[in-house]
Amino acid sequence: MNDSDFVNQQLLENLRALAADARGHAPQHVEERVVAAFRTRRRRRNLLTWMPLGGAAVAAIAVGLWFNHTPKGSTIPIEDEDASFYPLAEAEALPVLENAMVVRVQLPVSSLRMMGVPVSEEDSDRSVQAELLLGQDGLARGVRLAQ
Amino acid sequence: MHFKLSLMLAVVTATTLCAQGPETHAGGGPGDAALLRAEFGFANKVVTGAPYSAQAVTQFTQTLANGDHIQRTTTASVFRDSQGRMRTERSAAAMGSLSATGARAIVIHDPVAGVSYALDPANKTARSMMIPAARNRPAGDHVARQSERASASAKIEDLGTQVIQGVNAQGKRVTRVIPAGRVGNEKDIDIVTETWYSPDLQVVVMSKTSDPRFGDSVYQLNSINRAEPDPTLFVVPSDYTVTQGPRFGRRGAARVY
Repeated sequence: MNDSDFVNQQLLENLRALAADARGHAPQHVEERVVAAFRTRRRRRNLLTWMPLGGAAVAAIAVGLWFNHTPKGSTIPIEDEDASFYPLAEAEALPVLENAMVVRVQLPVSSLRMMGVPVSEEDSDRSVQAELLLGQDGLARGVRLAQ
Repeated sequence: MHFKLSLMLAVVTATTLCAQGPETHAGGGPGDAALLRAEFGFANKVVTGAPYSAQAVTQFTQTLANGDHIQRTTTASVFRDSQGRMRTERSAAAMGSLSATGARAIVIHDPVAGVSYALDPANKTARSMMIPAARNRPAGDHVARQSERASASAKIEDLGTQVIQGVNAQGKRVTRVIPAGRVGNEKDIDIVTETWYSPDLQVVVMSKTSDPRFGDSVYQLNSINRAEPDPTLFVVPSDYTVTQGPRFGRRGAARVY
C-alpha cells in the first residue's frame, strides 16, 4: 500500500465511522480525524496538481528570459500588469514612496538611456511619450512608455 | 537712450520671468523632458487626522567625471486635510537626473471618494481616475517594494529625534554597500540614505540620499503649517470640465490614453 492508498483508506474509515453515527453529531475525535485526513489528502493532491504546472511555469519563465536576452529592434521594457513601471536604478537608494504623482512627459529615447533604461542605439534620436512615477520628493522612481 | 535701455531691460526681465514661470510650455533642450500633463496621484497610505500644508523642496546634485556639477531644484506645494485627501502642485523644473520644462502638474488624491484628479488650470479641465481604497499602492507598487527590499539588506542607524521645521522627527540612516568588484568598481561604493520621519504627521520631513553612481539629493518639507488647509483645494473647481479617465484596474493605469 502506497502513501496515497493509505490516506484514501484512512479517509474511507473515517467516513464509515461518521456514517455509523449519522443520526447524531460526529464525535469530536472522528471529526478531527476526518478533517486531518482530508487536509492531508488535499495537500498531496495540490502538490500533484501543481507540480506539473510548476514545471510548465519554470519552462515558460526560461523561454521568456531567453527571449528577453535576445537582441531586438527596441528593447525598452514595459512590465506587464499592475507592475508596469520600469524601476530606475537611480531611485534605488531613495526613501520609500509615501505618495506619488504620475506625469506624462515627452523625452528623447537617449534620456531613457541616461536613466538606465536599456534601449537600442538606433532609437536614440527618437522622441517618445512616457509616464514617470514621481515620489513625494519629485524624483523619478519608475518609467513606462505611453506611446 | 535711457528710455531705450529701460525698455530693453524690461523686455529681458519679462522674458526671463516668463521662462521661469510654472505655466511655461517649452519643448526642452537636448536631454530634457517636456512635462505634458499630470496623469494621477496616489498615496501609499491614507493618513487621517493630521492635516498640514508645506513647501517641498528637492535639490539634486550630480558630480560629473570632470569635476563639474549639475544642480537642479524642484519644488512642490503639498496639502493634506484631516480626511487624508491630498493635493500636490509640482513645478516641472527637474525630475532627478532629468531637467524638465512644461506646465505645473497638479493632482488631487481623494481616498475618501476613491478618486484622483489631474488638473489642467490652463484649459480648466480635470481628468479623473477611480482608485479603489483597497488599492492605495497602485501602479508603482512594485517600485515601492523594490525600494523596501533594497533597504532590507542595509545597515541601519538610529539618529535619534530632532525638531525639523517645527515638528519632531525621528532620524534613520541606511547605508548600503556595493562591495568592490561587484559592478566593476575598484572600491566599495557606499550608498547612504538619511530620513527624518515625523510620527505626528506620518511623513518624511527631510531626507538626504547620497549615491556616488548617480548623485546626491536633499528633500525637505519647508514652511510646515499644521492648520486645516482650505477645503476648496481638494475639490475640482466648479468651472472645470471633468473628463473620466480609465478606471484603475490591473491594466487601467497602464493603458495608453
